[in-house]
Amino acid sequence: MQLLVFLLRRLGWMLITVWVVFTLSFFLMRAIPGGPLNGERVLSESVRAQLEQRYNLDDPLFVQYTTHLWNTICFDFGPSYKLQDFTVNEVLAQGFPVSAALGILGMTFAILLGMTAGVVSAVRRTSIYDFSFMLLATLGIAIPSFVLASMAIVLFVFYFQIFPAAGWGELKQIVLPAMCLGAPFAGYIARLTRTGMLEILSNDFIRTAYAKGLSTQTVILRHALRGSILPVVSYLGPACAGILTGSLVLEKIFAIPGMGSHFIEAALQRDFTLGMGALLTYTVLLYVMNTLVDLSYCIIDPRVVLE
Amino acid sequence: MGTLPRADFVFNNGAEIKTMDPAVATGSPEGRVINALFEGLLRSMPAGEPDSLGRIPMKPVARGMADRFTVNAEGTVYRFHIREDARWTNGDPVTATDFAWSWMRFLHPETASEYNYQLFYVRGAEKFNTVQLAVGDKVEVELADRKTPELFPRGTIRRGILRELILPPKEGSEDTGHKETGSADAVEAISGKAIFVVEFQNESSNTPATETIAYAVSADGSLAGIDELKQSYTGDYSLSNIQPCKHVLYDFNEVGIRVISSQDLEVTLNSATAFFPELVAFYPLHPVHRRCVEQYGARRFTKAENIVTNGPFRLKERRIRDRVRLIKNEHYWNAAEVELESIDVMSIQSETTSLNMYLTGQLDWDTTPPNTMIPVLKKRNDFVSTPFLASYFYRVNTAKPPLNNPLVRRALNLAIDKLSIVDNVVKGGQTPANSFVPPGMIGYEGYQGSGYDVKLARQLLAEAGYPNGKGLPQIEILYNTADSHRDIAEVIQQDWKKNLGINVVLRNLEWGSFLDSLRMGDYMVARSGWIGDYPDPNTFLDMFVTGGPNNQTNWGNVKYDNNIEMAKSEADPATRMQLFVEAETILMEEQAILPIYFYVSKNMVRPRIQGFHANLQDVHPLHLIKIRREGSAVDNSISEDTN
Amino acid sequence: MNQTPATTTDAQPDKLSKRTELQRLAEVMSEARTQQGVSLWSDGWKRLKHNRVSMISLWTLVVIVVLAIVTPALPLQSPIFQNVKQRELLPPEFKTFKLGIAEYDETLASKRQELKQMSTPDDRAALEAEIEGLEARHPINVYWNDPNFISQAMIEFRIFVFGDYCIPSICGTDKLGRDVLSRVCWGSRVSLACGLVATLVSLLIGVSYGAIAGYFGGRIDNIMMRIIDVAYSIPFIFIVIFIMSFLSAPAVSDTLRAYKINQITVFFLMIGAIYWLTMARVVRGQVLSLKNEQFIDAAKTIGTSQWGIIFKHLVPNVMGIVIVYLTLTIPAVIRFEAFLSFLGMGVQAPDISWGMLVNEGIQVITPIRIYWWMIIFSGFALALTLFSLNFLGDGVRDALDPKLKNR
Repeated sequence: MQLLVFLLRRLGWMLITVWVVFTLSFFLMRAIPGGPLNGERVLSESVRAQLEQRYNLDDPLFVQYTTHLWNTICFDFGPSYKLQDFTVNEVLAQGFPVSAALGILGMTFAILLGMTAGVVSAVRRTSIYDFSFMLLATLGIAIPSFVLASMAIVLFVFYFQIFPAAGWGELKQIVLPAMCLGAPFAGYIARLTRTGMLEILSNDFIRTAYAKGLSTQTVILRHALRGSILPVVSYLGPACAGILTGSLVLEKIFAIPGMGSHFIEAALQRDFTLGMGALLTYTVLLYVMNTLVDLSYCIIDPRVVLE
Repeated sequence: MGTLPRADFVFNNGAEIKTMDPAVATGSPEGRVINALFEGLLRSMPAGEPDSLGRIPMKPVARGMADRFTVNAEGTVYRFHIREDARWTNGDPVTATDFAWSWMRFLHPETASEYNYQLFYVRGAEKFNTVQLAVGDKVEVELADRKTPELFPRGTIRRGILRELILPPKEGSEDTGHKETGSADAVEAISGKAIFVVEFQNESSNTPATETIAYAVSADGSLAGIDELKQSYTGDYSLSNIQPCKHVLYDFNEVGIRVISSQDLEVTLNSATAFFPELVAFYPLHPVHRRCVEQYGARRFTKAENIVTNGPFRLKERRIRDRVRLIKNEHYWNAAEVELESIDVMSIQSETTSLNMYLTGQLDWDTTPPNTMIPVLKKRNDFVSTPFLASYFYRVNTAKPPLNNPLVRRALNLAIDKLSIVDNVVKGGQTPANSFVPPGMIGYEGYQGSGYDVKLARQLLAEAGYPNGKGLPQIEILYNTADSHRDIAEVIQQDWKKNLGINVVLRNLEWGSFLDSLRMGDYMVARSGWIGDYPDPNTFLDMFVTGGPNNQTNWGNVKYDNNIEMAKSEADPATRMQLFVEAETILMEEQAILPIYFYVSKNMVRPRIQGFHANLQDVHPLHLIKIRREGSAVDNSISEDTN
Repeated sequence: MNQTPATTTDAQPDKLSKRTELQRLAEVMSEARTQQGVSLWSDGWKRLKHNRVSMISLWTLVVIVVLAIVTPALPLQSPIFQNVKQRELLPPEFKTFKLGIAEYDETLASKRQELKQMSTPDDRAALEAEIEGLEARHPINVYWNDPNFISQAMIEFRIFVFGDYCIPSICGTDKLGRDVLSRVCWGSRVSLACGLVATLVSLLIGVSYGAIAGYFGGRIDNIMMRIIDVAYSIPFIFIVIFIMSFLSAPAVSDTLRAYKINQITVFFLMIGAIYWLTMARVVRGQVLSLKNEQFIDAAKTIGTSQWGIIFKHLVPNVMGIVIVYLTLTIPAVIRFEAFLSFLGMGVQAPDISWGMLVNEGIQVITPIRIYWWMIIFSGFALALTLFSLNFLGDGVRDALDPKLKNR
């Protein structure tokens, strides 16, 4: 019951947020002259008038706003201004699974690598592992992802020739971009895990567990990990946002046709309908991710109450 | 997630194509895809031995939809016989009607094809497209009963004879509307400000035998705007009964494109045109399937699930900004000779990325190696590079001040160090250009322009009223996103700053948006390139006639237009070439464009790819490509030692 | 009965205690003078000084900022002047390089001399025109793209001191022959300026917003916080990208140019507008807890206006935590600017930014030739700045953390 109330309240706020974003971008969009008709060679006023009728561009602004809002609610984002044979829905439908796959893989990589490194660092404190992992973590955080990606390409594509250079379509083409995408977050997660683990490990119940004769592995995996996941989970919210923005740059470097590259091209070409569609998608996505993170937070830590 | 295994042949097309519709496409990336999907009456095929530079001549031959064609003695009537086993991908036979309908669509003013002038050599075609009607012409009226907002399927067509043409008063005159007995201005006729009085034969045995109806062109079916006309007209004809219609055009049955039978098409030209077969083989004249276009509309018929094609390959999938996947078309009449089963046409904008993908084995053919690497790549076996008939130039929007002043334009041209660009930026052995038409066409000496002359440039700019660039508004260079274009634009930016003191900003757009901006005149100076469609100066020079759809510079010159027009029907080759030389001289002296260099092709092709030949137009038909299976996937061999 | 020898013993302790009392008081006084109270700032600074890594970061940043500010006065080559013919993609080298300005100035001076000696008006006019031309195309304008007043002064100072001498291309040149070292230095100005300006903007907005919300409390606070909640869920980075595309439309950029607003300025302001949210929240929290303190009551009693209380009393006291968040914001802003410039949406040629340089660097990485200097130096500069800011930030956070006070 409490869960339901929570979700409903979140949904309400999401609708408000989406509405704010929609209104802002709608008015920006309409402030620029031109539109989907830009590509049509304007033959005559009559043809233009006919097309304007088709796109409702001759209605007063308020009517356009409500029509567009209604269409958006029904998930119809309209035609793309610049990709003339496509509607925004088609473009997003093609780009979204690609970006999703990249993002999920990147996040998985970040979590796995980060947590492993953090745990090992915490358990083997002040050893060479600790030192090198934390150094790598700091490097990953401070160096921007595009610089990191270029070095990764030199190393893993040209020198060691493990991965293909760019593109999308086969499994091996997704690995390097996902790794570059997840690297900064892996670094941050490693640090968080390490701090969390250290705190947990200094607790009495850990000492008891060891005293009972459990192996290090069991102690860590069964008892310590649960507590140290919390800071990581609360970081996942901003991490998701970071992964989405990071993918904009990486999709450009690796020529991946994801939603990010469509969004950037839309921004560069002033393809406003596509830009707005992608923007709204990102808003909803981030909101949903944040809600999921909050939910999982309270699942993992029974002390936390959903508010 | 959509994983896709690698196709048999993968190449980089350089940009996301704007459209797959032959009637509206204009670029070479689009051409590669359209030539694979569709096929015209004739095909350009390699014919003959390579010349001294290794280029194989390409000739239009009857290895397309037509299996033979004949020309009459004067060279004005062509008859094409369409092969019996020509099929569309949905099994329908390809007939002469398909071609007639496609060419009508191509010429239809509402399609607004930018290449429509290619068919103006056909009798009546120009009149059909530009709607230059005269009283007494046979016309076709499209009634305002279209079922969809699309152009096709059209509304009811009625054919009749134009009896009267009523035009609005000329601007600034005291006329109050007048009846026209000569020909109408094309623009006025379409924009709905004219009234056409058409007489139709009655089919049924009615009395009266004819009926006369007055029409006004109206997009939305209303007659707004006609009232003004009605009021201002004081003639003796009753204007109370005007009907709205969509178009009043020259009757297409009068155009020299005639369907003799389902397999025979006859085309009548205005006068002998030597390069007409080349035009027929060129992709804008490829046919489209009528029912497909009518069912789905111009925007959606090119979707993979809708499209019906007749070429060696069919469309499997199109992923935006990723690739177009083509697979072999089993219905193609010559499917036996096509070896490739699947082709991926990639749209990678970054030249370095595509080079890297080529070098690591992901691409078989790279059309855009980066200029910085050319000196290194030149030494490799897999680098194919020959001069070809193409010109790199900057279009100047002569309607935007200060570019409306020819002195300014000439100053800009003289201040560009083209030799430096060719030697140090593009580095492929290109030739700096001081004229528009590339050298090498037999009998054409062309225009000898002057080269880099900073002193004269400064003088001209001062004469124009901007000494040392003072007072000159900022100039913007527009280019389509590619490293090579950006480098050249940056060099020119510095040349103009250093030599003339002018401030320049750069703007870049993706290929499709770039084409749109050019079309709408939304630029000041724009990078352009043009490949000759056939080896004749006309293919370059007829672009710049006043109002020509490929002109896009708002420049026009009456003498230029006349020269081009006369050259169309001039029989004596020497006189014809002279007409072209004069025309080019006018174009260059008024500097509607700034020529930069003449292209040298640059392709990286895997050694195991066969059927790839350098030629004058740098076209490489995909259905001729064969892959030698024993070659290695990655061959980084070079022909001499480098460090 | 025994009598206590009161008088004699009484007199002795009196004299003794008076002396020690004085002594004691004197000692206390001198101690008080030497021992000062420990304020938050001095305590924090002391602790920061002990943090070796943070101090190194601080000094690195100081060096970077100073270098950025005095770049026009340094003997560097031109960052935008191309020399495709001779200097394309050179690896780092030590060959000397001369600017050629001295020669130009000499020519100009001699022409001016000629002018003085010329008598015929026609010749005078021609020579004047020539001189005007030479002045308009002076290398300073070409090499540094019409520098503004301050930069021009610095450049002239540099010519005065160093003459034509230039530091050779120790970082190599790019594909149009431009010196990488000077590009990195000039690029730092844009990147750092962006960091500063945008952070300042976010500071101004965030602190004011949070202070007002926290001080007034009640309904106003509620509404303002709700707005922030909604704003938090908005992906501002994407909105900024969307707005950047709006700004590049000809209609808008023409309007901007008409009002003489630089596009870069708008760009900086936009970025600043993203990062104020956290600052506002944090400041509000602090203000909420501070507003019930006694010193606020005192200020109210002497009649300080509400705005005076907010800006003269509350805000200075939240500066500690504001500085901590500043150290988080500046690297984020610099990174975002590099991000946008990398994508081609930030500064436009001929202006330079680190992100743009990294983008150019990536474009020349191929398996057959790796022009490593194009990316190493700009990437290193960016990474070093971000590193230092991060470490300094960590250090400042630890230093100002009241829980660690006086350890």
